[in-house]
Amino acid sequence: MATYVFPILIGFLFGWSLQKAGLSHYDKIVNVFRMKDLAVLKFMMSAMVVGAVGVYVLVGLGWVTIPDVRATYLLGNIVGGLVFGVGMSLAGLCPGTMLAGAGQGSLDYLIPGTLGFLTGASLFAHTYEKIFNKIVTVANYGNVTIFGWFDLNKWLTISVFAVFVLLLFYFLEKSKLGAGAPDDLSR
Amino acid sequence: MRVAIEYLRRKRWSPYVAGSLLGVTTVLAIVLSQQLLGSSGAFENLVGLIEKTISPKLVDNFYFKFVMAPGVSWQVYLAVGLLLGAFVSARLSGDFRWRVLPDKQWREVFGTSVAKRWVIVFFSAILLEFGAGLAGGCTSGLAISGGIAMAPSAFIFVGAAFATGIPLSLLLYRGKGV
Repeated sequence: MATYVFPILIGFLFGWSLQKAGLSHYDKIVNVFRMKDLAVLKFMMSAMVVGAVGVYVLVGLGWVTIPDVRATYLLGNIVGGLVFGVGMSLAGLCPGTMLAGAGQGSLDYLIPGTLGFLTGASLFAHTYEKIFNKIVTVANYGNVTIFGWFDLNKWLTISVFAVFVLLLFYFLEKSKLGAGAPDDLSR
Repeated sequence: MRVAIEYLRRKRWSPYVAGSLLGVTTVLAIVLSQQLLGSSGAFENLVGLIEKTISPKLVDNFYFKFVMAPGVSWQVYLAVGLLLGAFVSARLSGDFRWRVLPDKQWREVFGTSVAKRWVIVFFSAILLEFGAGLAGGCTSGLAISGGIAMAPSAFIFVGAAFATGIPLSLLLYRGKGV
């Protein structure tokens, strides 16, 4: 049950939320980079705030532990992000949204998308020792958090982050900045 | 009840609502499975499995032995669920359609050549997977999963992706009337 029922259920909600937000469509992804439609940003920041508050409350209660705090190694995080941004703005997809696009019947996602991701994965695996293992050692701070790194209060950091995001959302809704074209709700 | 069903069948949800649902999903993944969400990892496990089937020699290296084992991992099941969730969402709302090209905007800028789109997607996907590997995860595996833990890497990664994504898309769309 835990081996496949849970991940399939969790993946289902994941795919559902991506598809409902329209991120499985090329336009939605590219238009965030063009500042025309900030749905991607709104979606991601909502997930981060809800997730951060949820997780840290449960951690505080002693019910869960965070499985892994993603490592900060500046050169890799930055170079990887720069390369990632090129692919994302060219194709208008990323690994998760590619799968969501495939689920909605987009064959340009399913076929060249899957083949490309598998090829990229193979390339990464076979160059791992030569490239990744070198890059990962540069400016590596390990599994730090923002509050741990700068010695800040945990709850203050999370609260400031949440308030900042909510104010940003308020500003975006008020100003209609990056509101995008109205969604086609026809069926 | 009827209102709820109508809502489930809607083509689009507010990004705030859909994003919050993903936030709850990340918490659920930790509670139920002690796992973080991620999409790029599944392709690593799968390509390992494919290469192992072709020849065990191909996976006889540091990466497949110590970093990402070939096989049907939690991430692969997650990817199966992701496909299903998007399929059901799209079927219920009428957004499901077999497509070989994105709708509208792509065609206006890049034309209607299927080959052109598929070649661009293929090479972009290579860049995306390789970049995600270098960075330590993709939009879900690093930005969201690192973000909920308040890891600096998540925000650095998003900043870097926008640093190339913004100028490149502005360049591609320069002089286009969309």
